Amino acid sequence: MTKDEVQGATEEEQAQSKKGLKKQQKEAEKAAKKAEKQSKLAADQQGSEEDDFAKDRYGVPPMVQSQQKLDRVLVRVEDLSPEKADQLIWLRARVHTSRAKGKQCFLVLRQQQFNVQALVAVGDRASKQMVKFAANITKESIVDVEASVRKVEQKIESCTQQDVELHIERIFVISQSEARLPLQLEDAVRPDGEGEEEGRATVNQDTKLDNRVIDLRTTTSQAIFRLQSGVCKLFRDTLTNKGFVEIQTPKIISAASEGGANVFTVSYFKTSAYLAQSPQLYKQMCICADFDKVFCVGPVFRAEDSNTHRHLTEFVGLDIEMAFSYHYHEVIDSITDTMVQIFKGLRDNFQTEILTVNKQYPSEPFKFLEPTLRLEYTEALAMLHQAGVEMGDEEDLSTPNEKLLGRLVKEKYDTDFYVLDKYPLAVRPFYTMPDPNNAKYSNSYDMFMRGEEILSGAQRVHDAQLLTERAMHHQIDLEKIKSYIDSFRYGAPPHGGGGIGLERVCMLYLGLHNIRQTSMFPRDPKRLTP
Amino acid sequence: MSMYQVNPVCGSLLKPDLPTCMYTLPNIHGQQGNSCTSDLCSEHALQNGEVDPAVKALEARQDEILRKLYDLKAAVDGLAKTVTTPDADLDLTVSSSLSSQSPSSTTFTGVTNLDTLLGKDLGALRDIVINANPAQPPLTLMVLHSVLCQRYRVLSTVHVHSSVSNVPPQLLSCLGPRHADSYARQMFQLGVTLIWKDVPKLQMKFSVQNMCPIEGEANVARFLFKLLSPYPSDAALATLVDSWVDMAFFQLAEGSAKERAAVLRALNSALGRSPWLAGQEFSLADMACYCCVLQSGPASSTPSNVQRWLKSCENLGHFSPAKPFLQ
Repeated sequence: MTKDEVQGATEEEQAQSKKGLKKQQKEAEKAAKKAEKQSKLAADQQGSEEDDFAKDRYGVPPMVQSQQKLDRVLVRVEDLSPEKADQLIWLRARVHTSRAKGKQCFLVLRQQQFNVQALVAVGDRASKQMVKFAANITKESIVDVEASVRKVEQKIESCTQQDVELHIERIFVISQSEARLPLQLEDAVRPDGEGEEEGRATVNQDTKLDNRVIDLRTTTSQAIFRLQSGVCKLFRDTLTNKGFVEIQTPKIISAASEGGANVFTVSYFKTSAYLAQSPQLYKQMCICADFDKVFCVGPVFRAEDSNTHRHLTEFVGLDIEMAFSYHYHEVIDSITDTMVQIFKGLRDNFQTEILTVNKQYPSEPFKFLEPTLRLEYTEALAMLHQAGVEMGDEEDLSTPNEKLLGRLVKEKYDTDFYVLDKYPLAVRPFYTMPDPNNAKYSNSYDMFMRGEEILSGAQRVHDAQLLTERAMHHQIDLEKIKSYIDSFRYGAPPHGGGGIGLERVCMLYLGLHNIRQTSMFPRDPKRLTP
Repeated sequence: MSMYQVNPVCGSLLKPDLPTCMYTLPNIHGQQGNSCTSDLCSEHALQNGEVDPAVKALEARQDEILRKLYDLKAAVDGLAKTVTTPDADLDLTVSSSLSSQSPSSTTFTGVTNLDTLLGKDLGALRDIVINANPAQPPLTLMVLHSVLCQRYRVLSTVHVHSSVSNVPPQLLSCLGPRHADSYARQMFQLGVTLIWKDVPKLQMKFSVQNMCPIEGEANVARFLFKLLSPYPSDAALATLVDSWVDMAFFQLAEGSAKERAAVLRALNSALGRSPWLAGQEFSLADMACYCCVLQSGPASSTPSNVQRWLKSCENLGHFSPAKPFLQ
């Protein structure tokens, strides 16, 4: 080694040793900190083991595998009221939020649309460790809670149960939720305008639909689907009281019913079949089979590549068909009366749900007339003409014209629901009965809610001869509808009917703007899951 | 001595002036003025243009007869009116048979044109919408409606709005039974749609684009009345009718007891001077005042002239639609 090299080496050595020293120092500090932490933890643990007198009053019990049958009665959150003050009750609910504040922990426990404030406080019933445990329970976990109900002086504005709060004595986690939720429920319920104003988050529709299980837990969703259930029930009850019979029609069919353009094809053993676009054919066959008045509730499949706010590929159809004596207005009267009974039932029994939905999606209350307003197509043309829209006599109404007409009718008659009668024959399907006095028109009608069409109906052609003529006029292959025409060859009563979409009726009744909000697991051209 | 005589073939030949003139014919042109007058008196103008005095006499007689006829007709009209004026002492059965022969044609004269009042006929039903509160049924409008039905083909419908939950059945049938042809709206000249709704003031809507809504029973009554017969052309008389209508709705129906008493006194003195409130003819003033007088309370303390006038109003038979609501 040369002198320089030696010097360099010693310098390096010195440098190394400096570095080494620093390293050693750091390691020492780290070790010291670690030791400190460990001793602290040990001290804590010791302390917690020492002081935890409430050890058996909280925790995560083993998974409920039906180990034992407890006779415990769980109270529902919606029943918590000052009447139950000072009672000791058990209830099961989700943890909506939990917030620790020193020696107390505030929880909001939620059960469907209802929530209540709950409190774990360090005292003779609860220990510090229990409070800590409660504060660490993840949101959306399901808990069993034993608590005493206490009246409060000041109303708790943020909860549905405003006059009481729970003082928790025991709390067990029945089902724990993962810590990171794909969406926060408060964000999902926040009205869009508020979100923008205050800079808080709202959840966009696709995220909500991808995580539907969580989104359906929100108060708004609960209210919407309870109301939808009410619509179905009122539909069934009203029609049953009018003497209608509920039928079930097949959904796998051999020929496309309404023309063939928008059907789903399924493979059917060695051939293929179609998914029914509507129960039309089978409803009519039931009338020819002497059931007189029938209705059916079932899925309807439309393979329309429409990505709009009001189209789904699969929806629930509520369909009515009835034989009448002399005039198809008997059918219109029956259908409109059913709709009015549904609206009245919703107005009188579902106000809570309507108000809950309005909190997130404000809208005007739904107005209607009894008996339902019926206008003729010529009157509609006259009204549109006065408003500056030029339309031909035999032209169909376009969607913007329908909306404008809805606004004009609302202004003049103050109703959100009306019937438009006597449509031009040229724009209706081949099985629509033409008007007896004027060949341009037909015995058909549409019904509108808030300016959007919800039902299309008509008197059907019940004569095989005329039906064949009309089909040929529309250039339909007679072979494909042979069985349909055959059903009218052995005596068929005059009949008519129509069908509504459950999701669309709910959407329009509540004044919502997208049909996916009223469909639990919606199907559209771009969505197949969940 | 003549050989044989033959009757002249063309008669009324004028004597020719022989030997200078072979034959003469009557002057077919005659006097210009006379040939332009009525066909009834065909003028046989003589060659010198004078009118045959016999024809003149005939014409004069015809004119006289026609004049007498017109006088008679006017006299009969006058008599017909006296049968339905307050001085008549008839019972209701007789007058109701008279009223079934469209009293509107005798009581409401004057030509009205639906097109000028309601706008061009666009080939669809012209529907008048009236929003009324079931707590205050508009009796004057119901009476006007029944008179309208006698004059035009009216499609009447009654609806209940969702803002109101319970409406007594008599309010649902207040516009009469459903018309047999009500399934074909186009066949009617006029539509009246009455909606029982929770509104503070009675409201009428017709053409949303061209007309603002009309508020208040008095104003709607004036509008509907104009569909029957125009307001009197004399400005003073028209104002008189208007002031009675306003007095009826604002002071009789809605006023305090003192105001009502004052109006009754005014009615009494006015009816002492003429059979109806606006002179010799039944008018909207009488209609409105009748409904409001009876609506505002029992007829115990009404003065004599007013009572007599009330009876003659009833004799007219228009007010039967309002009867069920006045008990």
